[in-house]
Amino acid sequence: MADQPQAAAGRPPRSIDPVRRSIALTFGAALLLFLIGGVIQPGFLRPTNVFSVLVVASFIGFVAAGQSLVILTGGIDLSVAWVINAGGVMLTSLAAGSDLSAAWVVPATLCMGLGVGLANSLGIVFLEVPPVVMTLGMNGIMQGLVLGLTNGFTSSSAKAYAPRVVSQAVNGVLPGGVPVDLLLWTAVAAALWVVLSRLTFGRWIYALGNNPVAAYLAGGHTRRITVLVYMLAGGFSAFTGIILAGYAGQATLGAGDPYLFASIAAVVIGGTSILGGRGHYFGTIAGAMILTVLTDVLTLMSIPEAGRSILYGLAILAALLIYGRQPEDV
Amino acid sequence: MPRIEAIDVSKSFGGVHALQGASFEADGGEVHALVGENGAGKSTLIKILSGLLRPDGGQLRVDGQEVRIDRPAAAQRLGIGTVFQELTLLPHMTVAENLLLRREPRDRFGLIRPRELSRQAAELLSGLGLREFDVDSVMSGLPLAQRQLLEIAKVVSRAPRILLFDEPTSALAEREVTWLMDVIRRLRDGGRTIVFTSHRWNEVHDISDRITIFRNGQRVGTFAAADIDENRAVELMTGRHMSAVFPPLPPLGAPEAILEVRGLAAGRVQGVDLTLHRGEILGIGGLQGQGQRDLFLSLFGAQRLRAGTIAIQGRRVAIRHPREAISAGIGIALVPEDRKVEGLFLPMSVRQNMTLPVLGALSRLGYVDLRRETDTVGRMIDQLAIRTTGPDQIVGALSGGNQQKVLIGRWLVTNARILLLYDVTRGVDVATKHDIYDLVTALSADGRAILYYSSDTAEMAHLCHRVLVMREGRAATELRGREITADALVRASLRLGGEVPA
Amino acid sequence: MSAPAARPSAGDRFRRYALRNASLLLSYLVLTVMGLYYVGYAAGHGQLSVFSVTSVFNNTMPLLVAAIGQTMVVLTGGIDLSVGSIISLSNSLAAVHMQDSAGSVLAWSGLILLIGAATGAANGALVAVGRIQPILVTLASLSVWAGVALFVLPQPGGAIPPGFTALLAGNAWQIVPASAVVLGALIVFWIVFRRTGLAVALYAVGNDERSARANGVPVAAAKIAAYTLSGLFAALAGLYLSAVTTSGDATTGAVYTLTSIAAVVLGGVSLFGGRGSATGSMAGAFVLTLIVNILFFANINPLLQEFFQGLVLILAMAASVLVNVVLGRTG
Repeated sequence: MADQPQAAAGRPPRSIDPVRRSIALTFGAALLLFLIGGVIQPGFLRPTNVFSVLVVASFIGFVAAGQSLVILTGGIDLSVAWVINAGGVMLTSLAAGSDLSAAWVVPATLCMGLGVGLANSLGIVFLEVPPVVMTLGMNGIMQGLVLGLTNGFTSSSAKAYAPRVVSQAVNGVLPGGVPVDLLLWTAVAAALWVVLSRLTFGRWIYALGNNPVAAYLAGGHTRRITVLVYMLAGGFSAFTGIILAGYAGQATLGAGDPYLFASIAAVVIGGTSILGGRGHYFGTIAGAMILTVLTDVLTLMSIPEAGRSILYGLAILAALLIYGRQPEDV
Repeated sequence: MPRIEAIDVSKSFGGVHALQGASFEADGGEVHALVGENGAGKSTLIKILSGLLRPDGGQLRVDGQEVRIDRPAAAQRLGIGTVFQELTLLPHMTVAENLLLRREPRDRFGLIRPRELSRQAAELLSGLGLREFDVDSVMSGLPLAQRQLLEIAKVVSRAPRILLFDEPTSALAEREVTWLMDVIRRLRDGGRTIVFTSHRWNEVHDISDRITIFRNGQRVGTFAAADIDENRAVELMTGRHMSAVFPPLPPLGAPEAILEVRGLAAGRVQGVDLTLHRGEILGIGGLQGQGQRDLFLSLFGAQRLRAGTIAIQGRRVAIRHPREAISAGIGIALVPEDRKVEGLFLPMSVRQNMTLPVLGALSRLGYVDLRRETDTVGRMIDQLAIRTTGPDQIVGALSGGNQQKVLIGRWLVTNARILLLYDVTRGVDVATKHDIYDLVTALSADGRAILYYSSDTAEMAHLCHRVLVMREGRAATELRGREITADALVRASLRLGGEVPA
Repeated sequence: MSAPAARPSAGDRFRRYALRNASLLLSYLVLTVMGLYYVGYAAGHGQLSVFSVTSVFNNTMPLLVAAIGQTMVVLTGGIDLSVGSIISLSNSLAAVHMQDSAGSVLAWSGLILLIGAATGAANGALVAVGRIQPILVTLASLSVWAGVALFVLPQPGGAIPPGFTALLAGNAWQIVPASAVVLGALIVFWIVFRRTGLAVALYAVGNDERSARANGVPVAAAKIAAYTLSGLFAALAGLYLSAVTTSGDATTGAVYTLTSIAAVVLGGVSLFGGRGSATGSMAGAFVLTLIVNILFFANINPLLQEFFQGLVLILAMAASVLVNVVLGRTG
């Protein structure tokens, strides 16, 4: 067909997938931090300690799973903090410590998360409220509801203990020393891998995040994808609330607050573009690990919270300068 | 000494050489036209001279001095003003604010004087013969033709010594074209340099002093306007004789009607009747902004119908979403205008880009069957001769022409029997363009029905069995067979339509 | 070409202004309604006094000032999440270092404003030159400056000179809240600022960055200026907060990040950039504060405060979108 291919003179440049590269870099950085921890405190690299660090990282990982999906479609979920808090409170106050009740309370709590996500997505899709505003408003709504219904977290139901079955699930350890929680995280990671890499749904997520107009013109049901993705995010946030309550044994006021920025940071450090369309959950896993190990190492170095906060921010900036930069226009 | 020169300039985008050692000069007091096919490099040269792009190699000179034009502000400082094809007007600001951007009248404290701003803007426009604009109206509310006029007025009023125009008349009706030609003549007589690109030979020939022809990223010749005619120009532009540029149109025989549209009104379309037959290539012509885009979008389910009916093989259908258009029962595919904005997912792979509309058919229970997908994609890559390392290569790494082929491949995979092709050769290199012509005629011979729109009138003239020229949202003129010439198309587009409202 | 356009009548011009600024006018309307509700409730409870009105103003001012800065950034199409941390830092520095003398107050105010501007400039440089998305740059810098604030003031405490408090949060001529005077000054500032070349550049960048650059607008400089102003106003907001709370707390500013965005949105400023006015954001700040006050008078559980703020935010945004759709506009 082509007699004089114009492009023959220069071959198309080889594309080293920038996402894979940044994921690899991130895991490398996480590993480096672990090693630094090992140097500072012998025993840091003992399996029990590594596992406990990973368990704390998994909390970020659960929230960030939903946040990853939402950010990949080009949105953002600023409601995670209070959906987490609501999840913890709902678990403890409704189950009131009863293992039997946990059987229905856990699913009900997850449904609460799905419902919040649904509300978020309906506002975004049908009221055309931008995700920043919609989820921000929803965060306030959830905060008001939780504080109002628990009387500022002073009601007895809010102070109830988490059902033992949940606590044990989160804190339990399998023979060999592997925490059950990490098994949960592995399951979540596997599920997200299947969704993003193997399902048609995953393709549409990337397409929508990369180019919403083209996704629509390619026959995509962009509204349905958006609704599903925000529902999943809400579900994951509620799930994290349950896990946190199980881990601590009780619901804590403001337990979810640090997770808003932590989830976004983990997603971005993991190589996912904040604009959507590029990235993968594996990167987010590495990002969650980095954030957790970094905090731990800084604590080991006896750096006070002030210093930790500063270094945390500088670390994110460093990651951004390395691979968070937009290409130049010319 | 030439006022502006480009010497041996090169520019590549990801493996495609838009310009290879191209040279060009224009003098003071001259109107110099740049012509060439889509992809020959004219737009790229203009963008380099205006500071929007930086060349990979070569030299630029103004008044004999070497210069570096590394951003638009630098070009403006050198006295170069450019009217780009993509307008640079700010949508939420008023006409006055746009016209006098960066030159607003100030008071003694350095603050902008809003009433004086409006007054000066109105004065500026009336000085150019444009009196009917309300300078305090917001830009986004104005139609395309008016915005193109305002863009021209803005740049001209900055009194640059060198004026560059990239396709300035694509949306302008007859009166407005006449106005522009007047303006250009006055500027030339005043000693300015004007360089412009256009696909319309009549305009080019009428107004230019000299014409430079580009092909494959290089200059093939510069002529005084009187010394060259259209046939010779086309030969130089394409490297072939006119009739050899385009493949022969397959004959139509007694074709059956496959798509019937009656009274369609949607977006800018006010009322269109058309019948499309199997194997037919029906062109939709006219100036930019007359409703062609909305016609294509509404046939694809991407634009809601205000009125009218669509029938596929005699059966009335309602197409409410692109997914319905793609479905087997209807079988319509749209290859949209701007592949980067509306078509491709550049960070995703060839396979992911190509199979998106038919993923359902290639998967089970939501799980993609990679092997079947690889087969399908592989076959399409071969059929379209796409230069790629394989189905997993990131589309962003491909050349423009190959990207366009991937996009076309996506729609061929859907096996649609009606193809809506909207400016598919825009921004594509010359070789790929001819591949696309061959493909279009092959599809026609295969019995597919094709609706075709192109900004290049020569293409429309040679690739279509019939052409419907749109004016103001209606199909105003129909041309058949031998009646379809570039000249006739242009005349039909300009006649009586698009008057600037009072 | 054809006949000149007829000069628009005053009625036409007002209609055109209303159409163009629909979101802004909507926010003024909401503020007026809220204001009337508040006055009604307060009077009904016998609570309408110089003191209570001054309190309302004082409680609104930090948010209002922060919202002005946030407006600058949002106009360019960006967002500034570090606002809260700068407020905390400003408050902490003032609480630790400001002594009870005119000289100290002036010097430290100036220094704090300078520090705020510098942090903003750093943000701006990373956005404009580093080409990193604003939400991420300011997210990182939020963390950095929160840490610095904590470093300056590890435990809540410190003291703000009473003279400073009287200046910003007291009453002039016994009745007029000093805040109202400052508010007036800020409104005048905006009216003047709106007519500067810098303001035009901000709007241009927010409208369409590529087109702005093609027209020779100094895009990078405009962005850096926007973030610098945001940092400056955040620092000023922190000073105001110090005057109102009379003490320091390194975590006190955190809540202002998201509420400043809420105020901006309530003020009809488009999050996509290029449209809106800081006066709208000022109205939005008052709306948010009035909600709290109205809830109090309406005997609604004050713990539900965020619920209503969130609800109003969503509804106001939806209304604004609806208005724009009805008027046939996008974005």
